[in-house]
Amino acid sequence: MEKRLIKKDALAGIAKKMAGDAMVWAPVKKEDNVLFAPLGAGDEPVFAYLNSKNAPKNVFFPHTETLMKFTRTPKGMEFSSEVKKSGQSVLFGVRPCDAHSFVLLDKLFDQEKYKDGYYIDKRKSTTVISLACVKPPYATCFCTSVDGEPVSADGADILLTDLGGDYLAEFITEKGEKLASYFGDAKADAAADAKKAEMAAKAKEAIRSKIPAHEIKPILDKNFDNPFWDTIHRKCLACGTCTFMCPTCHCFDISDEVKGSDGVRIRSWDSCMFPLFTKETSGHNPRPSQKERWRQRTMHKFKYYIDMFNAISCVGCGRCVMACPVNIDIRKVVEDISKL
Amino acid sequence: MQNPYIPYPVVVDKIITEVDTKDIKTFRFRFVNPEDEQKYAYIPGQFGELSIFGKGESPIGIASSPTQKGYVEFTVQKAGVVTSALHEMEEGTIMGIRGPLGNSWPLEFLEGKNIVIVGGGFAFTTLRSLINYMIFGENRKRFGNITVIYGARNPGLLLYKDELTEWGKRTDLNLNVTVDKGDATWKGREGFVPAVCKEVAPSKENAVAVICGPPVMIRFTLPVFFELGFSKENIITSLEMRMKCGIGKCGRCNVGSKYVCKDGPVFSLAELDKLTPEY
Repeated sequence: MEKRLIKKDALAGIAKKMAGDAMVWAPVKKEDNVLFAPLGAGDEPVFAYLNSKNAPKNVFFPHTETLMKFTRTPKGMEFSSEVKKSGQSVLFGVRPCDAHSFVLLDKLFDQEKYKDGYYIDKRKSTTVISLACVKPPYATCFCTSVDGEPVSADGADILLTDLGGDYLAEFITEKGEKLASYFGDAKADAAADAKKAEMAAKAKEAIRSKIPAHEIKPILDKNFDNPFWDTIHRKCLACGTCTFMCPTCHCFDISDEVKGSDGVRIRSWDSCMFPLFTKETSGHNPRPSQKERWRQRTMHKFKYYIDMFNAISCVGCGRCVMACPVNIDIRKVVEDISKL
Repeated sequence: MQNPYIPYPVVVDKIITEVDTKDIKTFRFRFVNPEDEQKYAYIPGQFGELSIFGKGESPIGIASSPTQKGYVEFTVQKAGVVTSALHEMEEGTIMGIRGPLGNSWPLEFLEGKNIVIVGGGFAFTTLRSLINYMIFGENRKRFGNITVIYGARNPGLLLYKDELTEWGKRTDLNLNVTVDKGDATWKGREGFVPAVCKEVAPSKENAVAVICGPPVMIRFTLPVFFELGFSKENIITSLEMRMKCGIGKCGRCNVGSKYVCKDGPVFSLAELDKLTPEY
């Protein structure tokens, strides 16, 4: 594997240089938040950040996306069916938990049958550069409980690790290697490797929040009707914030919008927390209250996704924990289930 | 590779009003590009997304049989935004259909067996597809006895009346049509579907029951079949859920770990028993 060392203050320059050649999504300061956005001329990326307020899943799976366009004609409708090909792009400086979420989303959108061309096209044309968490950012981080690590190349094409004075750049995939020329020519030595291993171990140690995420699968298998499900949802406002912040939530709605004789069919993020999500035309709703919706969300992440794809659909970023307006904490939910 | 979100353009070729209340119509679609018919090769029990631009999409079971060439049919009740718009359409209009989606009636499993088909009301559509498939030409030999029990609330609500008459003339199909309540002209059977099932009492020997209907009919019909000795493996049904994508991505139609759109809509009772009761 190709490895290089780069001076710490050179990183922003590298991102900006890349942005001259391709679309670069980088963490930028927007009001009080750090968010991933396409880096424009004059924009300054922030790499000394904790984690982005929102998960960067929108790079591959935008909030709203056009599936097709149509035009009304005297005979009915004509429509165009092209999937717009995106150009090469770079997602620069994502945290390893978020990079892990892409691997999980791939399992859904890039199945053998029914490939989602919109997602796959953006995913394939984007190089993911992860920025390791040598100091885990939040007390709510629990990646090590859900198959992640703060210093991990999972889902990354290039992994950057802050070694103090320098960044170690590891070119994990061929796609990552193609961008190696941007990273100078200082080869990393064995000392850098040793330093990285030491920092990775320390970072892993620093994740104090631990949940029994793997242990609850057999419990969930048997407890669909447990009275426990009557408890979590009671203070839930059904705002859907947890699902919108979540890096692995992928539910969407499809709707049509028309202006004059032209229209688009779009898909937009939807949420299992909303009553209308499953309500049928007849009025019947298989998930009639917030109880069933919370059970669905929990089951989907810690049981159904394992049944379907053999992976937990949570990366331990803790965004839902921090953003919930009524302090529902998924870590506590998992903990409670483990005691059923 | 075909983009699964993009419909095939079709022409509304023929609209047949099925019932007296005029809120159930059969729509016959012809593909605008004849080569698309091949791509839309389907099996009875599958469904499609009917796509009206500007209104949206609605998942509907395919009512025609793949043995009927040159077109595909859906029988649709006027209910929501899309189906109401569909009911307003005129012959010759261009719209879209996606699919075929979902699994299907398990034809290989059904082959060589005696088939009991039980349908109630408007849920008869994909059963009609199956019946027309099984009785078509040489296909008939691949199945044992075929018993059909079909009920509607009143004679005016029976679907496919011409076909029912044709099927009634056949000696290789035991057709039992019933209505909850007849009218002055009705000379057929009266009674609820579960009661008729009890009367007809199909044998469980080498038999599979394919049951589709409103929940209340299913609830009272299943005990009849259990009493007749049918095992849960040999009772097959089809589920409905709110759907959008139809390909297991948008996340709303799952029952436990199975998406009704992709892993269903057809399940045996034995399979349903393994799922969570959330439908």
